[in-house]
Amino acid sequence: MNFTRKSVVWFSALVVVVNGFFPAVWILLTSLKTETELLQVPITYLPLAPTIDNYVLAFTAQPILRFMWNSVVVAGLSTALCVLVSALAAYALTRLRMPHRNLIMSLLLAVAMFPLISLMVPLFKVMRELGLLNTYLALILPYTVLSMPICTLVMASFFQDIPPDLEAAAMIDGCSRVGALFKVVVPLSAPGVFTAAILAFVNAWDEFLLALTMMNRVSMRTLSVGITLYQGEFAFPWPLISAALIIAIVPICILIAIFQERVVGGLTSGGVKG
Amino acid sequence: MSTDAPTPRDLSERALGTLLLLPAALLLLLIVVYPIATLFWNSLHSVDQANPQAGELFVGIDNYTRAFADDRFWTSTLHTVVYIVVTVPGALLIGLGLALLANKPFRVKWPVRLGLLLPWALPLVFAGLIFRWFFEYKTGVVNDWLVALGMDPPQWLSDPTLAFWAICIAIIWKASSFMALMLLAGLQAIPRSLYEAAEVDGATTWQQFVEITLPMLRPAIFVALIFRTITAVQTFDIPYAMTGGGPGDATETLAMYIHKTTLDFLDFGYGSALAALMFVISMVATSGYLRYTRRSAGRSEE
Repeated sequence: MNFTRKSVVWFSALVVVVNGFFPAVWILLTSLKTETELLQVPITYLPLAPTIDNYVLAFTAQPILRFMWNSVVVAGLSTALCVLVSALAAYALTRLRMPHRNLIMSLLLAVAMFPLISLMVPLFKVMRELGLLNTYLALILPYTVLSMPICTLVMASFFQDIPPDLEAAAMIDGCSRVGALFKVVVPLSAPGVFTAAILAFVNAWDEFLLALTMMNRVSMRTLSVGITLYQGEFAFPWPLISAALIIAIVPICILIAIFQERVVGGLTSGGVKG
Repeated sequence: MSTDAPTPRDLSERALGTLLLLPAALLLLLIVVYPIATLFWNSLHSVDQANPQAGELFVGIDNYTRAFADDRFWTSTLHTVVYIVVTVPGALLIGLGLALLANKPFRVKWPVRLGLLLPWALPLVFAGLIFRWFFEYKTGVVNDWLVALGMDPPQWLSDPTLAFWAICIAIIWKASSFMALMLLAGLQAIPRSLYEAAEVDGATTWQQFVEITLPMLRPAIFVALIFRTITAVQTFDIPYAMTGGGPGDATETLAMYIHKTTLDFLDFGYGSALAALMFVISMVATSGYLRYTRRSAGRSEE
């Protein structure tokens, strides 16, 4: 009885882990094979002679470091802006007596449901008229807005739990209301702010459609676009792509591995509350 | 909350609140409201290809009537609908399965959690690229298994029907783990005492699942379904990476057709009309979601 129960638990864990990891593991194995081995039929599973040649190629054949830098700038700045703007909004919606709070919150959530493609068409034109195509701003501003609903929601749920007395005490000590926000509320809900930041970062790092649309200059491509468009320039170079994919997903993997609990909490806070 | 007239303190709070909401509101205006407004304006205009100097001319609903007569609009819409119909229940079933498996009492929790998080964190296009590699004719791992089972390896990505199924599999894999995370949170919110009581009454595991788990999970399932449907309406990245819409336009979605019309064919007026139609389609889905959240928000405040 105890034994079967234990093996059920083990089996469950195995299924979930294999399901989640196999594509990444397969691409990792692929990236360590030589080109001849990749063209071999029947295919091999473990690399016969593991090599890092593909990684050397990935760093030299394409400006992947430049793509990565673009992704870092765009994701980093949009995350910072998004957290700031959402924190202010979440504060107003949770800790101030505002009329129509639920309506404002619903409108904010409605934005999250807008089809990006419908937004992309006119946004492209707006950015072109503003002369912002091929600039970081063309992605930073939309990414900020895209993550605003979830960030506001996550931070609002944390702000709600802070006792109002603490804030009142800070204000008696001479803090302004906004001062109290940044000195009391934000530090106390640091986990919430942090969760919001990670979600915004991953969203921006992963985005493809807008990045594809707003940046047509190769040097301005983000990682997701840069790597996907390899296919247009060569005849599907799997050795190169597999190594580039690993290079691109490692930072995100490290991020979610470190902060997994918070990410899960943040991701589900939107859904379960409903 | 008091129902009296607002006190000066209330008013100053309102003023501050409005000020704090202002940055978010301005960003929304610039990035969402203004573009959406121009979208409808653009959809009523067109550039005469024979005389582009004349600029954007008002053409009324011509772009819309053109869309309704355009076979490619209907087929790409149909593809999108079929993707929704296949991947929403597919991802729900797999996601529910994963959530039930992940809800076991593990002593070490991180591998399972990462197993659910990794597919979520992987960019959609990368998932598309990886599955494209799985489904390669000669060097793909899927055909290697089929050959090992004694079957003829099919040309997955150059056969219209098979390419569609390959894309669905990739979408379901990618979407199910996020669903599992949401459903898992729902599962963990179910009080253990319910199961203990059911066990005392001699209910089987299946009865417990049908009588306790499913009803208690209904809100989580509902929210997960709506999220998934809204994302599925916009399907773009995975087919783009796996087939580019091909072979021909057999796997092209509405989002891909809009993208092509606007950026490859540079037909801005027509692209805008298509995007406006898409906007309307998904607003219908969104309003359902809003009605649901507002109703439950009202409930929790009672």
